[in-house]
Amino acid sequence: MRYVAISLIFLGVLVAPGLSAAAPPKPRITDIHGQAKGRTAHVQFTLRNAFTPGMMEALKSGIEISFKTVVRVQRHHRNWFDTTVGEITFSRSVRYDALSRVYRLNRGKDVELLPDIFTALAGMTRYEVTVPLYHEVTRGKKYRALVRTRLDKVGLSDPLRSIFFFSSLWDVETEWARGDISAP
Amino acid sequence: MGERRHFRAMKKFLPGKPDPSPEKDRAKKKRERIAIGIVAVLVAGLTILEARLGAISGKVGFTSNIIIFALININVILIVLLIFLVTRNVFKLILDRKRNILGAKIRSRLVLIFISFSLLPTIILFIAATNITTTSIKSWIGGRVGVALTSALDIARGSLEREAGNLSVVADRAATAVLRKGTKVSLRDSLDAARRGLPSDVSLLLVSQTGHAEVSGGVRGEIAEEIGSRLKGEEGTIRSQDVTTIVGESYASAVRHLPDGRAVVAVKTIPPREAKRIREIANTYDEYHQVRLLDDPIRASYIATLILITLLVVFAASWMGIYLARQITVPVQMLAEGTQKVASGNLAVRLDYRSDDEFGHLVGSFNRMTADLMEMKKSLEDANVSLSATFEELRRRSRFIETILTNISTGVIVIDRGGRIAMINKVAERMLAIKTDKVLGKPYKEVVREEHYDVVRTLSREVGEMPGKQVERQVDLTIGTKRISLRVSVTALQGDDGEYMGLVVAFDDLSQAMRLQRIMAWREVARRIAHEIRNPLTPIQLSTERLQKKFAASHEDDSAFSECTQTILSEVGSLKSLVEEFTRFARMPIPAFKEGNLGEELRVVVETFRTAHPGITWEFEEGEIPPVWFDPFQIRRAVTNLLENAAAALGKQGRCVVQVGHEPARGSVRVSVGDDGPGVPPGDRDRLFEPYFSRKEGGMGLGLAIVSAIASDHQGTVKVRDNVPKGTVFEIEFPVRPKKEG
Repeated sequence: MRYVAISLIFLGVLVAPGLSAAAPPKPRITDIHGQAKGRTAHVQFTLRNAFTPGMMEALKSGIEISFKTVVRVQRHHRNWFDTTVGEITFSRSVRYDALSRVYRLNRGKDVELLPDIFTALAGMTRYEVTVPLYHEVTRGKKYRALVRTRLDKVGLSDPLRSIFFFSSLWDVETEWARGDISAP
Repeated sequence: MGERRHFRAMKKFLPGKPDPSPEKDRAKKKRERIAIGIVAVLVAGLTILEARLGAISGKVGFTSNIIIFALININVILIVLLIFLVTRNVFKLILDRKRNILGAKIRSRLVLIFISFSLLPTIILFIAATNITTTSIKSWIGGRVGVALTSALDIARGSLEREAGNLSVVADRAATAVLRKGTKVSLRDSLDAARRGLPSDVSLLLVSQTGHAEVSGGVRGEIAEEIGSRLKGEEGTIRSQDVTTIVGESYASAVRHLPDGRAVVAVKTIPPREAKRIREIANTYDEYHQVRLLDDPIRASYIATLILITLLVVFAASWMGIYLARQITVPVQMLAEGTQKVASGNLAVRLDYRSDDEFGHLVGSFNRMTADLMEMKKSLEDANVSLSATFEELRRRSRFIETILTNISTGVIVIDRGGRIAMINKVAERMLAIKTDKVLGKPYKEVVREEHYDVVRTLSREVGEMPGKQVERQVDLTIGTKRISLRVSVTALQGDDGEYMGLVVAFDDLSQAMRLQRIMAWREVARRIAHEIRNPLTPIQLSTERLQKKFAASHEDDSAFSECTQTILSEVGSLKSLVEEFTRFARMPIPAFKEGNLGEELRVVVETFRTAHPGITWEFEEGEIPPVWFDPFQIRRAVTNLLENAAAALGKQGRCVVQVGHEPARGSVRVSVGDDGPGVPPGDRDRLFEPYFSRKEGGMGLGLAIVSAIASDHQGTVKVRDNVPKGTVFEIEFPVRPKKEG
């Protein structure tokens, strides 16, 4: 019953202010570039406007913030549909440890301990990923990367998680962003 | 279950709710489909929403999520259903009230009372709970809890920092050992040497420039990795040969940086129990800050939950109120409807309601009552049918008797055992000149005229009250100005059990019969007189004439002779005329009936009199009459006699009207001759038609007797009555077609 209440209330509480308040800058992906070679593609991009002041406050309060990102590499055809030649989905999260006074940036494989929030935010917004491709790239052809990121999880403490696990505290989701990558 | 039973019962019972028509059924099904569709869409939409938002559910497992989703969906469905049912019932209640359906008012009152009684405490509880929740959250996040938690974390951290500070000497010594080592001595040996004499929970670590542990002297892997990561993150911020401290929830360490970029770290592992406590402090600190950050949403969620619970309670109370109200009002409504049906005459009403409570007994009693009434009604109907048949039979018999009594020529009066007149037929009414409606039901002693009372008393005494006794007498009564002879027969009625039931008085008018008898007697007398007188008259006449011839000359001077003989001849002539009249009266022939035009015959007669008596106004009025069977000679003679009488009565002037009319009801024709002469005295009327009764000088009194005889020979009657304003009217009435005698 409580969850239903939360769902219904939060739909109102979170959506209504979003409609009425001045719209904040929309999160977006920029600076997509990279290189495809053999059966891999190295793609770099930057996530901008992803952290709102509220999210910064939440991060400082020990709430874990996680982004899920999809990177799709496509072969571009001038007069035909683009074909996907590779795709990868990964998460990256950050959490502040008040005891150690460090930000724990989790890139999936290892955890980096970062001494300040700026370094942590930089770690959450600058990406350099390797996308495995289904087959080798053709030299001289045109390839492009499509990237999309959205807020994946908000790691609350256990009691709060039971209250808020249904609701999204923030609405962070980018449009699909495109960028050409070279295939020398 | 009970409710459904009630609904079924009401469906079967209510007249306003007969079996639903196909159109209504289809409309209802359509509504249900729409409702189901809306619920389904809601459930699907909410499920999608939950699935979408559930992605942030953190560490809650997939299985738990599924169960929670299911529970939430069930809750949503239940709430939607509850709201639907309650709303539907409330609307139904409002509609029932508007339609003035029996029981709707009391039901709505009960529901209102139930809702009011539940709403008030629920709202109070809701307000109190909201205040308590808000106050609790505010006091927790706004009070000294935050300060305490921050202090606790600082203390924990300070403790770890102190431990780390204590390790700085160890780290320094180990760094010296590493820097002094010769080529023949390995780094591990150097660290082991530096570790000698240290407590067992203290270990040493040599971290490379890239943050990797080059040599670990007893440090746990994850601690070494974390320290390496932190040293890498602090790269460039720390000066060479500084001693810094790094603490974690399970360790405290002192770092001695070497000139070549490496670092020697002395690490003290915190016992697990202490590490756990420190972790708990840190978690609580985080939780506190998160709660502070999400203060409003948390409060809103609790309030929303309370609102939902409140609504649930209110709806549940409403539903319960509707249910209980229906429990009470359904039997009442059924009884009311049933009573109305019974009042409108439908005794086949049976209420299908079974319960052990008082309503059940009441409905049972109602059903028994209607069953008894039904049985009684059936008995009454059977009795009524039987009575109707008997009544019809009696009426048929009565009508038959009445018909007989109406059509017979005998007057009948029935007197009941109480002496009251029970019946009078038309003949008696006419004979006695009485009105049935004025005497019916009255004691006959009150009705009988004073002058007749002696006759009635004598007859009733003779009969007495002896059942079956009959007395017959001939009596002469004067009815108005008319004197009639009646043969009266009085019979005492006898019932089936022999008891006295009353009297039947039957009487026949003998006046006409007696008149005919007298006429017949007079005819006989006339015939004999004529016979006896006629024979000597001719010799007397002849002898007298001979005397005149023979002695006329010798008695020329004797006037007495001629006068006497002339007188004899004159009187003989008169006697001959008299004999001729007698003969004619006595020898009235049998009428020679033939079909003819009665009006034409009489018109000729009237024309004759118009010529002969020009001073009198003769009028002839002829109605529509069918061809009549009559003897033209006799009828002309009868009318001639009447016209002669009229002319004699009028003298030289006056008015005489002859009317010929048809009486279809009686099947007769009527000829009336009315004059405006001096009229006939009432005392003479009875004798007018008797022979030798005349009020004219020189009249023989045979004219009206002949009229009466002709009328009688035509199976008719002749009557006399006063003309209005003066004079006399004679009426001859005889059948259009005479009955064959014998």
